[in-house]
Amino acid sequence: MQRADSLTPRAFVSQLGLPLLMIISLATVPLFVEDEYIRHLTLVGMLFGAQAMVSDFTIGFINISNFGFAAFFGLGAYTTGILTTRYGISPFVGLIAGMLMSGLLGVFTGVLTMRLRGLYVSIMAWFMALALQALTLVMVDVTRGAWGLFVSPMFKSESILPSFYTLLIITIFIYIVIKTIIKSKIGLAFRAIGMDVDYARASGVNPTRYKMVAFTLSCAFAGLLGAFYAHFIGILTPEVMGTQHTVETIALNVIGGRGSVWGGLLAGFLVIAPFEYLKSLMAVRLIIYGGLLVTVMVFYPAGMAGLIWKMGDWLKKRKR
Amino acid sequence: MDLSLIWNTILVGLLRGGLYSLIAIGLSILLGVMSIISMVNGELYMIGAYIAYFAFAYFGLNPLVAILMAGIGTFLLGVLIEKGTFRYMRRRAGEDWYLNSFLLTVGLSFFLKNVAVLLFKPTYRGIRWYWEGTVSVFGSVGISIDRLVALLIAMVSITTLQLFLRNTNIGRAIRAVSQDERGAMLAGINIGNIFTLSFAIACMMGGIAGASMLSITPAFPYMGTAPNNYAWLVVMLAGLGNVSGAIVGGLIVGMVEAFSFQFIGEGWPAVISAVILIIVLVVKPSGIFGSAVKGVWER
Repeated sequence: MQRADSLTPRAFVSQLGLPLLMIISLATVPLFVEDEYIRHLTLVGMLFGAQAMVSDFTIGFINISNFGFAAFFGLGAYTTGILTTRYGISPFVGLIAGMLMSGLLGVFTGVLTMRLRGLYVSIMAWFMALALQALTLVMVDVTRGAWGLFVSPMFKSESILPSFYTLLIITIFIYIVIKTIIKSKIGLAFRAIGMDVDYARASGVNPTRYKMVAFTLSCAFAGLLGAFYAHFIGILTPEVMGTQHTVETIALNVIGGRGSVWGGLLAGFLVIAPFEYLKSLMAVRLIIYGGLLVTVMVFYPAGMAGLIWKMGDWLKKRKR
Repeated sequence: MDLSLIWNTILVGLLRGGLYSLIAIGLSILLGVMSIISMVNGELYMIGAYIAYFAFAYFGLNPLVAILMAGIGTFLLGVLIEKGTFRYMRRRAGEDWYLNSFLLTVGLSFFLKNVAVLLFKPTYRGIRWYWEGTVSVFGSVGISIDRLVALLIAMVSITTLQLFLRNTNIGRAIRAVSQDERGAMLAGINIGNIFTLSFAIACMMGGIAGASMLSITPAFPYMGTAPNNYAWLVVMLAGLGNVSGAIVGGLIVGMVEAFSFQFIGEGWPAVISAVILIIVLVVKPSGIFGSAVKGVWER
C-alpha cells in the first residue's frame, strides 16, 4: 500500500488552503458584524455544516449513509441535558458525556451490522433512531417527552459570542481529526472500502474493522454536536431525533459534495443561513430543500465541492 | 382478558399487515428490479389517499372507482417520476447508484410531503365510511365493511400482481431484469420500459393501499411516514427483494404493531419493531425467508 504523503506540516497547510480561508473568515465574522441576528445565522449555519461534515465521514469515505444520524445527535443532546439538569454536572463535562454515549450507541449499531453490507447499516441505524425517538417520547419521567426538556445554557452572558467560539473550536477540532485520519494510511483504507469492498479485502484491508472506526467516530462527533446544540438551544423535544433532521443533514452533505469534508460546511453557510432567514415560508422552504436535493442528485451528484474542484482544474490548465 | 378485544386486535393486525404487505411488495420490486432503496413509497400512499378522498367526497364517485382512480393516478405519477428523474440519473450515476438513488428518493419524499402541506394544509381529510355498516364475525365482534373490503382489496391486488409477474410476458420480462439485467437486455428486453413499469407498479401498490384505508386513516400530508417505516421493516424481516415473503412478513409486522399498541401502549410499536429487527439481524441477516435476489449487498 502506498503511503499517503501527509502529516508533514507543509503538506498539511497546503491541503488546508480553502478550508483555512473559510475558517479564518468565519472566526472574524463576529468582529465586524454587530448584528446579533446575523451572528446567530452564522452559528446555525456552522452547526448544520459541521453535522454535514461529520456525516460525510461515513457517506463520502466508507459509502455508508447513516440514516439514523439524528438519533446519535439527539442522544448526545439528551445525555448532557439530563446530566446537567438532574445531577448538576458542568456543561463541558456534559459535552464529553454526550460524545461518549453516542459513540457507544455507534459501536453497538456497528457490531450488529458492519459485517453486512451498507444498506443494513443505514436501515438498522434508521430503526434505532425511530426506536430512540419513540422511547424519548414515552419515558416522560426521564426526558419529559413532548413537554420538552429544558437545558441550562453553557454561558451566563447574554452575548452569542462565547457559544460561537465554542462551536468554532469544536468544528475545527472535528475537521482536523477527520482530515488527519483521511490523510493517513487508515484514510486510504477507508477510500478503498468506499470504492470497492471486494478489492479492498483482496488487498488485505479488513473492511469491518475500518468501517467500525469511521462509523463510531462519526457517531461520537454527532453526539458532541448534539450536546452543544442542547445547551445552545435550551430546550429539547423528541423532534430532534426525527428522520427529517437526518434528511436535512444528508441533503446538506450531498449539496456540498460527498467526499470533500469541507463541502458540507460550505453548504451549511450557503443553504442553511438563507433558509433560516426564510423560516416564515415553512412548507415552501422545505419544498425548495427537497427539490434542491433531487436536482443535485439528478444533474450534478458531485455537488458544490465538485464544482469548485472543476473550476480549480480549469484555472490550473489556463495557467499553463 | 376480554376475548373480543383480542379478536379485534387480531383483525386490526390482519388489516394493517395486508396494507404493509402491499407497500412492502412495491419496495421489494424496486429493490429487486431497479436496485433502488426507496423512501418515497409512503408518500405515494399519502397521494393515493388524497386522490381517493377528492374522488369520493368531492365528486361523489363510487368507492371502487375512487380507489381505482387512486391506483391509476399514482401509477401515472410513478411513470412521471421515473422518466423525469431516475432515467436521467441512471446515465450519470454509474458506481454510486445505490446511494444516489436512495438519496434521490429521500429528496422526492421530502418534496412531495411538503407540496402536500402547501396544497392541502396540515388538516385531516377523512371520510366516515365508503360503505356504511358492520358485519359480525366470530359471534360478538363487529367489523366494519370498509375494513373487510380493504383487506380484500389488498389480497386481490397482491394476487393479481403475483399472477401478472408469473404468467404474462411482461411479468416474465420484469423478473428476468431482476435476475440479470445484462442477460435480459441481450434477450431483447427494453430495460428502460421495464424500469418505468416496475417503478409505476410499485407506486400504484402504495396508492391503492392509501386509498382503500381512507375511512380508517384520514388523508394527511405526513401520513405516509409510518407505513413506509413499517413496510421497510417488513422488507428487512422477509428478506430483501423477496416478494412472496413480504406477505407473511407484513402479517407478522401488522400483528406485532396491533398487539403492542393495544397491550403496551402508544410509542412502543416502534421500539418493539426495532428490537425484533435487531434479533433478526443477529440470528439470520438474510431475513426470515432468505432471499433469492442478491443485487444490493452482493455487488
